[in-house]
Amino acid sequence: MRQRLRAPWPRFVLAVTVIGFLATPAFPSGFQVMTQGAKATGMGLAFTGIADDPSAIFFNPAGIGFQDHFSVEFGAAVLSRASSDFAGANPYPGIGAVGSVQKQVFALPNLYIVVPLTADLKFGVGIDEPYGLGVRWNVPELWSGRFISQNAVIKSADINPVFSYKLLPELSIAAGAVYRFSGVQLERNTAATDPFTEAQVDVAHTKLYSGLGDNGAWGYNAAILWKPAPAVGVGVSYRSKITVDYGGTATVTPRPTGDPAFDQLVAATGIFGVHPVATEIAFPASVNTGVGLNLGGGFTLGLEADWTEWSSFQALNIVFTDGLLPNINRQTNWNDSWAYRVGLEKSFGAWAIRAGYYFDNTPQPEQDAGPILADNDRNVYSFGFGYNTPQWGFDVGGLYIVFKNRQVLTQSTDNFFGIYSEKAWAAVADIRISF
Amino acid sequence: MNQILRRSLPLAAAFVLSARGAGAQAFQNFVTVGDSLIAGEESGCVVQRMQQRSWVALTANLLGVSDFEQPWISEVAATNPLTGYPCLGLTLNGTSLAIEIVSETGPYTNLALPRPYNNLGFNGSPLMADFVDLTVTTPGASDLDNLAGGVLRNCMGCPFQGMSAVDEANLLAPDLVAFWGGNNDVLNAMFAGVAIVGVTITPVDSFTNSTNQVIAGLSAPGRTLVTGDIPNIIDLPYATTIPPVVVDPTTMKPVIIDGQLVPLLGPGDSAFPCAPVAPDTGCPLPQGSLVMLPASTLLGQGVGIKTALGGTGQPLPHGTFTPPSTLTPGVVLYPDDITLIQSTIVSYNQAIAAAATANGAILIDSNADFAEVAKNGFDVGGVHLSTAYATGGIFGYDGVHPAPSGYGIVADAFIQLLNAEKGTHIPRPNFSNILFTPNVPDIVNSGVRTSSGGPWHYSLDTWRGFLNSGLARRFAIQMPAIPEAPRMVPQLPPAPRAARRVERHDVD
Repeated sequence: MRQRLRAPWPRFVLAVTVIGFLATPAFPSGFQVMTQGAKATGMGLAFTGIADDPSAIFFNPAGIGFQDHFSVEFGAAVLSRASSDFAGANPYPGIGAVGSVQKQVFALPNLYIVVPLTADLKFGVGIDEPYGLGVRWNVPELWSGRFISQNAVIKSADINPVFSYKLLPELSIAAGAVYRFSGVQLERNTAATDPFTEAQVDVAHTKLYSGLGDNGAWGYNAAILWKPAPAVGVGVSYRSKITVDYGGTATVTPRPTGDPAFDQLVAATGIFGVHPVATEIAFPASVNTGVGLNLGGGFTLGLEADWTEWSSFQALNIVFTDGLLPNINRQTNWNDSWAYRVGLEKSFGAWAIRAGYYFDNTPQPEQDAGPILADNDRNVYSFGFGYNTPQWGFDVGGLYIVFKNRQVLTQSTDNFFGIYSEKAWAAVADIRISF
Repeated sequence: MNQILRRSLPLAAAFVLSARGAGAQAFQNFVTVGDSLIAGEESGCVVQRMQQRSWVALTANLLGVSDFEQPWISEVAATNPLTGYPCLGLTLNGTSLAIEIVSETGPYTNLALPRPYNNLGFNGSPLMADFVDLTVTTPGASDLDNLAGGVLRNCMGCPFQGMSAVDEANLLAPDLVAFWGGNNDVLNAMFAGVAIVGVTITPVDSFTNSTNQVIAGLSAPGRTLVTGDIPNIIDLPYATTIPPVVVDPTTMKPVIIDGQLVPLLGPGDSAFPCAPVAPDTGCPLPQGSLVMLPASTLLGQGVGIKTALGGTGQPLPHGTFTPPSTLTPGVVLYPDDITLIQSTIVSYNQAIAAAATANGAILIDSNADFAEVAKNGFDVGGVHLSTAYATGGIFGYDGVHPAPSGYGIVADAFIQLLNAEKGTHIPRPNFSNILFTPNVPDIVNSGVRTSSGGPWHYSLDTWRGFLNSGLARRFAIQMPAIPEAPRMVPQLPPAPRAARRVERHDVD
């Protein structure tokens, strides 16, 4: 039995991980992405107290303690923006300045495998992408925020092996390790005073890059799922903070100003070329708490409150280790955040339909919102359906995300003021095979 | 839907912000009084190009004051010899860069305005006392008479004869007055390269008395008066750009011998007497000395550099005063000069603060604001501005007066303080317009002087140094003294006026 199970999954892991290298999510809470399972997505991500399919490895790994079959679940989330626009305000970039973010489509694959080792001990492994960011502005060479960011990217891919043990028939616990690969990219222009005109002109483009496969760090997760009654599940899932140190390059290329004399002066400064850079990002710890209730008549209700320790993200510091360019020291000063979720499922035999809603508080203070990321509170509406038998099944879930307009009119770390508006959607599809 | 949203967002923002700006109409009549920083001087002159982008013009526009009148000064091609005051700019002749005269002041274009101008700021280095005492100007008598006379129009037989700047401001019955003056009462010490109370520095008692008269004179019931104090002038690029040590012209880095920097040479002063060691005739400048921009020509000739390092061994001049009225300017300030300048600024600012408090005026802490900008620069939208000479973006080519971006910062500080103190919602300036609009003369055949022997020349290596923002102090600059301003062609009826006190430098 075990020998039969060992062979295929390393190739799956490798394949899905490689695909993950290419993926970048679009509209995280902060830059967290929770759409890691189709069933959970259809229920508004209120899944910690339910956790009854292999995606429990992400949402509540203690859930696999109650799963008695070897199962493989794989699929992908597709995310994109419906709209994302900016209108400027004084003092900069000023009334009349506008911008918009490209409607990129991001695909985030996921893979979960549950391996029963004994009746009470289960092993699982998950590959997913719980953090990421992708904000690429349209018309980047004219975008008024181009000196802060034209394109900001954070990529991640987690490998999460986990063991779950059923202490009691109604109580399961779990613990696992998380290895997070992560890459970052930031592109922007640099302005300088043209000494001939005293006006600011674009003189250089800088691309900071650190590849996904180049950086990584370890963390861990732990969880509990208690079913005090057959119709009730209570779950708590914890994921630790992970700080990733990045090493990469900054490639500085000239932007001709139209004045050869000034271009020559700028070139003489020696700033162009490739410079080594280093930075770090502290991905936050999180605690998800949820309740699952079988209401009878085929109805299942999920309720959840999630806490994320975003206060660990206090600064974004980029160090040019050769000392030839000034370091970037940016205070972010994020706050811890809460999300409140509710989801409902109605089953019709093997078929089920789902709907949900959640409200997610942004961790980002007004002064930090800007071209790199302008996050805000959002209302999210979910729907989904699925077909599941003991041997196999598929689920589809979707989200429609309506952000509150982000007004940056009084405080801005970048002195970049205006109003951001955004709507986005996500769709997740998973297939499960059990043996 | 997306297009609708994209169109509606700017409108929504404009609506929100225009609603916020509606409070700007709380002030209907805006008047400004002061020195060159009120007049809008940038790079050695005041012309309409600069007046339109001065901080008072920006502020008047944001206040919604539609009839804010300035004494518009036209900008004309530079003539040889000059007939107006020279405006400086950066030019390229072949491979040689130079700060040169790119235009000059021309005639005033609205002298017939039947009322005083709203902007009563004037250059010509007015002292605090001049805003209440200068009631009659004499065209041709001095630069101050010429420049103040064009603004105040108070010469004998002129429309406002016998009226000071404060008098004319009150004639307009404004509900908002901005006053910023007193800078020259201490700035002249920097231009003269020596600090002497009663000669290049106005005594604190006199300054206090004048300040009280000006602030009280501009105060009135129902009027909002805003005044600024004196920045630390030692942080101006005029004083900070040239390091007081020898710089290797090849590497553009300070020369280090036996692990020590090599100071430039000066003549010594009473606190730092000089006993030169032959063959040098000057002594090393003590730590904490400052070298002014006009020293660059002398440095290029080897003055101020030890003979052992290829220099002449002669000292850079320190300013001297010979009673009763002969002031010979220098280009270095010794630590005791600097101490006196800074302690004087502290005393001046105490006087200004006390006068503001006594008269209910709002005080802009220009000293603190400028200290912050001098230390950290000013960042807006990812654009970094600094006080670095010519390339920092904040100061103009004279190293003393702000460039348009610098005036934008001043306007922003003024408006934010006014909003905070008065509960108004005056919109802040639009820095996109300020930052990206070129500031060059709009003159066909401007008469830019392109002779290779132009006065203020820089090497490419020097500019490389300038462009390394924050490192500018490491590099030498080949720049001689500021050219002497010519007499302006009198445009107002001449009238006699008593000679001014000590002859003063013509920068401000």
